[in-house]
Amino acid sequence: MSDAPIRAEKVTKVFGGLTAVDGVDLELRRGEVAAVIGPNGAGKTTLFNMLTGLYRPTSGRIRLGERDITRARPDQITALGVARTFQNIRLFPTMTARQNVMIGRHSRMKAGVFGSIFRPPWVNREEREAEERAGEELKFVGLKADLLDRTTASLSYGDQRRVEIARALASDPHVLLLDEPTAGMDPRESAELAGFVLKVRDERKLSILLIEHDMKVVMGISDRVTVLDHGELIAEGDPAAVRQDPKVIEAYLGRSAA
Amino acid sequence: MPVAFAIHDLTADGSLTRIGNNLVDGVSNGAIWALVALGYTMVYGIVELINFAHGEVFMIGSFIAFAAFGWFGMDLNTAIPLLILGLLLCLLISAIASGTLNAMIERVGYRPLRDAPKLAPLITAVGFSFILQNVGVLWLGGSQVSVPDLIGSQDVLFQISGVEVTNGDALAILTTVPLVLALTFFIDRARLGKAMRATAQDPDAARLMGIDVDKTISATFLIGGLLAGAAGLIYALYQTTIWFHQGFEAGLIAFTAAVMGGIGNLRGAVIGGILIGVIQQISDNRIGPEWTPVIVFAFLVLVMVVRPRGLIGEETRQAG
Amino acid sequence: MSAALGKIKGFDQRFLVIAAILFAILLPFFFDRGSSFMDDAVLALAYVVMALGLNVIVGFAGLLDLGYVAFFAIGAYTMGWLGSTFYSQANGGEGVHLLVTGAAANLPGIHVNFLLVLVGAIILTTIAGVIIGLPTLRLRGDYIAIVTLAFGEIIGQVAANGDQVRIGGIWDKTLGALPLIPDLGSEATLTRGKLGISPVDKIDLPFVDPFTSLDIRSWYFVALGLVLIVLFVNVRLRDSRLGRAWVALREDEVAAISMGIPTVKTKLMAYGTGAALGGMSGAFLGSYLNTVNASQFEFIFSIFILAMVILGGLGSVWGVVIGAILLSFVNSWLIPDVLNGLPGQLGLDFDLTQVSFAIFGFILVIVMILRPEGLIPERSRKQEMHGIGTGDRAGAGSDVELGEAR
Repeated sequence: MSDAPIRAEKVTKVFGGLTAVDGVDLELRRGEVAAVIGPNGAGKTTLFNMLTGLYRPTSGRIRLGERDITRARPDQITALGVARTFQNIRLFPTMTARQNVMIGRHSRMKAGVFGSIFRPPWVNREEREAEERAGEELKFVGLKADLLDRTTASLSYGDQRRVEIARALASDPHVLLLDEPTAGMDPRESAELAGFVLKVRDERKLSILLIEHDMKVVMGISDRVTVLDHGELIAEGDPAAVRQDPKVIEAYLGRSAA
Repeated sequence: MPVAFAIHDLTADGSLTRIGNNLVDGVSNGAIWALVALGYTMVYGIVELINFAHGEVFMIGSFIAFAAFGWFGMDLNTAIPLLILGLLLCLLISAIASGTLNAMIERVGYRPLRDAPKLAPLITAVGFSFILQNVGVLWLGGSQVSVPDLIGSQDVLFQISGVEVTNGDALAILTTVPLVLALTFFIDRARLGKAMRATAQDPDAARLMGIDVDKTISATFLIGGLLAGAAGLIYALYQTTIWFHQGFEAGLIAFTAAVMGGIGNLRGAVIGGILIGVIQQISDNRIGPEWTPVIVFAFLVLVMVVRPRGLIGEETRQAG
Repeated sequence: MSAALGKIKGFDQRFLVIAAILFAILLPFFFDRGSSFMDDAVLALAYVVMALGLNVIVGFAGLLDLGYVAFFAIGAYTMGWLGSTFYSQANGGEGVHLLVTGAAANLPGIHVNFLLVLVGAIILTTIAGVIIGLPTLRLRGDYIAIVTLAFGEIIGQVAANGDQVRIGGIWDKTLGALPLIPDLGSEATLTRGKLGISPVDKIDLPFVDPFTSLDIRSWYFVALGLVLIVLFVNVRLRDSRLGRAWVALREDEVAAISMGIPTVKTKLMAYGTGAALGGMSGAFLGSYLNTVNASQFEFIFSIFILAMVILGGLGSVWGVVIGAILLSFVNSWLIPDVLNGLPGQLGLDFDLTQVSFAIFGFILVIVMILRPEGLIPERSRKQEMHGIGTGDRAGAGSDVELGEAR
């Protein structure tokens, strides 16, 4: 048995008549940074949505360690230690950065209706800790201190990305899924972010799976690369080998010179 | 369910007369709901709004028809050719009045809120519904008003082995069928119909293609209102009583029918309307009319919860 | 700088709240114990409780509930069942008396102390809230509105026809046969339809004389007590883990569920809490109005309460309080007593009370078009209403459809 924190086994997702993901096997190994690449519409985000429980696979299984999470709900999967970001940032726009990150703590907190109303000491402690933790995470991702209590709708694009990562980290994940973290960034910002991903991996002992278009980032930080095209897995391996793979070259060059 | 009752009747009375009558009454009553449901489904299909005031637009249609009978001095003694002419004229008047009203409500109450959260126009729709109900109260008072039975609604037109088809049944079915056919033809063929379909699928793309989206939406409300007005007239002749509260239940029934048929699906809405009409008749006849609203609302909940995408057909626009 | 400002504002708000509560406590001493103003004031407070309950569901969690009247009905019937001579055959005609004093202690029927009725109403309405909420949660927002409306209508219709529903026989053979639970007699029905269960027991609290309908002041203080409890619940919930989760679900359900917020459970908590608060007020009103009558439970009531929440400001606790007080006085004082003859003076042939539905409908329309965030907006709601971060991301290239999300 391989040491894989999260693994997809022959997963397929069909929408109406369209097969978005077709029998893909994918595993993320402990402590690695792995990338999923592929042209637009290759099924990468659909795969992510299945891994995080937003979509239920048409067939195939998803395992978290030994545990079968194919039919688990997204919130259950988060509670089991999988966190994600979204391709087009999905923060809660009217909440402050700090509140957004506190939402990330939700699954680690316990206060229910009665706890929230009567606020026994443990609830106050829990709230305080969540607030402190949110501050720490935002500092960790490099958000300036004076922006912590601004609504996220008013933050710059780059800062919104940071908050989204902080929100994911706040849920104590051991698997982190990043959906195009460098989308919309200039080369310098992308390079910075690539370095940051490695730092997160090392300091938090995480396994990270990312979808990425920026080949520089992919080649720079990935231990392994999986290539999807038309929902099918066409290549997998270390970045250098994948780059040489004729099928990959064709998938990319066949469409455009991206 | 009708099948189960048919079997029950066969074993109990040895004939299918009772269920047959239930079906005829149900279909004709359902045909009226179908006309109202068409307006619902068109509007929802195009702007994704539950036009809560639609039932009241239908009610106002009934009231206008009632008034128009008076204007033309139509009563039980009117000669048949004149009666038919008069009724057609009244149909035109109530349809145009309701259509204009519906389009005006859209202009005033919904268009300013097109970019607001979806619940905002729904709330104004509820507001309009109450305003119109009160218009109804001021107009004809708070209780049922009888309408001259111009067509002899309950008179039996013909009979097939005990199953009676009344003038009212014939009127409802014979007016609904051509209206529905004309509408589907229009939507399939006419330029405006095509614009409506394009706007329903993707308003932004439609705009890029040079379609005047505002005008298309207005037209949709207008057509929906026309049908509701027509339904209002038929209802007045069919039931021979009208009152301000008739729109509330009609609206909910019609919305259920629209959901059942798959929002945006015209034929589905018609089938849905007829199905609910049949359910109502069976409930009226076998459980007791005072329980029919409970049955209908329970059915509504069931449909919305179990098959929010419709029992029949598909949505024209992806839920999202 | 901004932190200091916040502190001053925080101080001001606290001061205002304390002043308002003091005002509310002192107010009844300026009016006659039985005056019509006191009557209007008690109703206003009871409606504040309802509106704050609905605010949890609509304002906090963003679930448009058009059938809130259901919880008023269930709360009121709990009071009617457990505090009147309605079940006069109960316990073999001897009646059931639990911690009641005064006249009620000697009457047939079931008579339970008001505080226990309140607990019963809370339990029943919470269950009802969850039952009504459960099937709606996977639906889109506007469908939720219609389904809750339908549930409200079903409850209202069952109340109206409940005089035909004989529950006595079944009850006596099942639950009534258990020890400690009284039998009801075979004639017992579910409700008394449009005739109504009346009279209903007056509130009976420990250490004070049983209430009478002549001295409204004591009712006022009970209602005020309920308002304070419900205010506390609203404020605490708003500023809590749950309150945050509700905002998150409202703004982006897919992101919220992906961040570990269980949708069903979190929304049900809103339904259950909101329902329980409505039930409390319902039980109070059952006793205060001295009748539990099916014609009280119509759709317009749901809209009446919704209009309070919307006028005050969705999600805004203090706004809702003000909205409820305003509309309640508009309904019970301004329309019937002050402006009723106005149309007549203008040469129109109707009374303003005839069009009170339209007035509330008009308020809904006007507020939504001119000031959708309400009189005293809640910050995040204000931004949502003006298009910042609405939940409606359809067409904006969102990567997950809500229909698929679970």
